[in-house]
Amino acid sequence: MTPMDFLQGLSEMEIIGGLTVLSLVLGAIIMALGIIAAKIAKLIFFKYYAPTLPQDTAKNFGKIIYFGIIAISFFIFTSVQGLDFSGLLVAGGIFAVVIGFATQSVVSNLISGIFLMIEKPAKHGDTIQIPDMGISGTLLDIGTFSSRIRKFDGTVIRIPNEKFFTSNIRSLTDSTVRRAEAMVGIAYKDDIENAISVIKNEIQLTMPFVLRIPEPEFRVEELGDSSVDIQVLVWHPRDDWSQAQPHLLTTIKRALDKSGIEIPFPQRVVWDAKD
Amino acid sequence: MSEETPQSNFSKYGLYTVNEHLELTLPDTLIKFERIGENAFSYFRQDSEGKIIEKMIPSKSNELKIELTPIRPLNYPARRTGYVFLKFDKEIYLSQNSAASIFVHCPIEIGIFLIHDSEPESLDWITCNPLNSRFGLYGPPDTGTLCRYAEVSLATDFSDSIPYVEGVMKIVIENDLESGQTVSKVIFPITDNSLYYEDSKSILDGIKVTLKKRAVVSIADVQTDTVSTDWIKSPTWEDSTSNTSMEMGLE
Repeated sequence: MTPMDFLQGLSEMEIIGGLTVLSLVLGAIIMALGIIAAKIAKLIFFKYYAPTLPQDTAKNFGKIIYFGIIAISFFIFTSVQGLDFSGLLVAGGIFAVVIGFATQSVVSNLISGIFLMIEKPAKHGDTIQIPDMGISGTLLDIGTFSSRIRKFDGTVIRIPNEKFFTSNIRSLTDSTVRRAEAMVGIAYKDDIENAISVIKNEIQLTMPFVLRIPEPEFRVEELGDSSVDIQVLVWHPRDDWSQAQPHLLTTIKRALDKSGIEIPFPQRVVWDAKD
Repeated sequence: MSEETPQSNFSKYGLYTVNEHLELTLPDTLIKFERIGENAFSYFRQDSEGKIIEKMIPSKSNELKIELTPIRPLNYPARRTGYVFLKFDKEIYLSQNSAASIFVHCPIEIGIFLIHDSEPESLDWITCNPLNSRFGLYGPPDTGTLCRYAEVSLATDFSDSIPYVEGVMKIVIENDLESGQTVSKVIFPITDNSLYYEDSKSILDGIKVTLKKRAVVSIADVQTDTVSTDWIKSPTWEDSTSNTSMEMGLE
C-alpha cells in the first residue's frame, strides 16, 4: 500500500456528516501548527515588545495574540474542510441559553474584566483601597475573570472582576502627596495657641517626611465634654505613609508631655441634689 | 573669602589616601577608615542623629583613595525627587523689562566616593543639616511637584558659602513682562546642576529665570546656567534625569 492509497483510505472513512478521518487529521495538524505559531508569537511579543508596555496591558495583549492566532487556525480548519455549523448552531440554541444562565457570573466577570482593562481605574503596582470590602493593598493584576491584590499583611486576595468593577476604588498612589491626620484633646485650662505651637515645632523637628509646604494644619474641631479637641493634619510624600501616620500621635503626645500640657481623660462632674 | 570659623577644624573637601587609618570630622559627624587586613578596609560613620553605618571595603591595592565632596541635596531623608524649592527670605522685586543677578545659599549634602581606577564610586552620603532637610510641594496635591524644600538667604558672592551646609548659586532673573514682578521662590530640577568645591566651600551651577508671556499666561521659565570656575567639580552622586528645565506659574 502506497502512502497515496493510505490517504485515499482515510479520506473515504467518514465519521459523521461528511467529516472524514483525513480531514480530522488535517484539522489536528492545522490546530497544532496554530498553537505552535501562537506560542512563538506570544514569546516574541513578551521578549521584544512587552517590556515597553505597562504590565497589565502587556499581559492582555499577550492573551489576545495567543487566543487570536488559535481562533484564526480554527477558522482556517473549518473553511478548508467546508464544515457547516448552521445545524449545530440551531441545535445548540437551547443548550446555549441553558449554559448562558449557568455561566451568568462567569460572563459578567469576563465583561467586567474587559471594562476594567479599558477604563483602568488602577494599574499594576498601585496601592489601592476598596472601602466597601475593607481591603487595602497593592494591585497585582487585573485578570480575565478576577483581580488580585496583595494586602499589607502579605496575603494575596482574589476579587471577582464584577465586584471589583462595581466597587468604589480609592487610589493611594495617584497623588504626589498624601495627608495624615490625628485628633488630640487638651485640657480647658491650657492655652490652645501654645499647644499648637509646641506640636508644630515637634513635628518639624522629629518628622522628616512631613512637608514644610503645605504647612501642618491645626483645627479646633470641638469643645468636647472633657477636652478641647484639636485635629492635626500633615502632608507627606505618597510613598511614605508609614513614616508619618503611625508616628503622628506619638509625636503629638511627646510634644504635649514636654510642655506640661494635659491630655485629659473623660470626666463627668456629678452634683448631689442635696448640695 | 569670609573669615575663618571654628569649622576650619573640620576636614576639607578633596582627595584622601588611606594607608592604615583615616579620620574625617564634619559638623556632628565622624567618619573613620581603618585597615583590617592586607587588602581590606573598614568604613565607619556616625552622623548628627547618632546613626551608625559600617561597611567593609575589599581592595586590590595596598591603599584606598577616597574623595569627600559636596553633592546635590536630594538624598535626605530619602531620595524622592530631583527638584529643589528655594524660598527666599526676602522677596525680590523686578521692574518691567529689567534683569538682576543674585547669589543665594543653596543646601548641599556631602558625598564620600571611592576612587577606583580613577573613577569615583559612591560609598556613602551625609547631611550636616538634617533638621532643615525637608520636602515641600509646588502645586496641588494630586499633580504638584514634590521638591526638596529650603528657606534660603541671599549671599554676597561665590565665596559666601556656609561650609558643609550650603553652597552658593547665582540666579539671573529677567523680567520680560510689561509689569513689575515680585519673586519669592524658585523651583527647578537640580539634577543638571553640577557642584564645585575648594577647601570647605562649594558653589553650584546657576539658573536663569525668565518671566515671560506664553499666549495669555505669564510664566517663569527656569533653565540651568553653567558656572565658569576653576574650583574642582564634584562627582555625580545620583543618576541624573532628563529634566533640565522647569516652568512655574506666576501668582
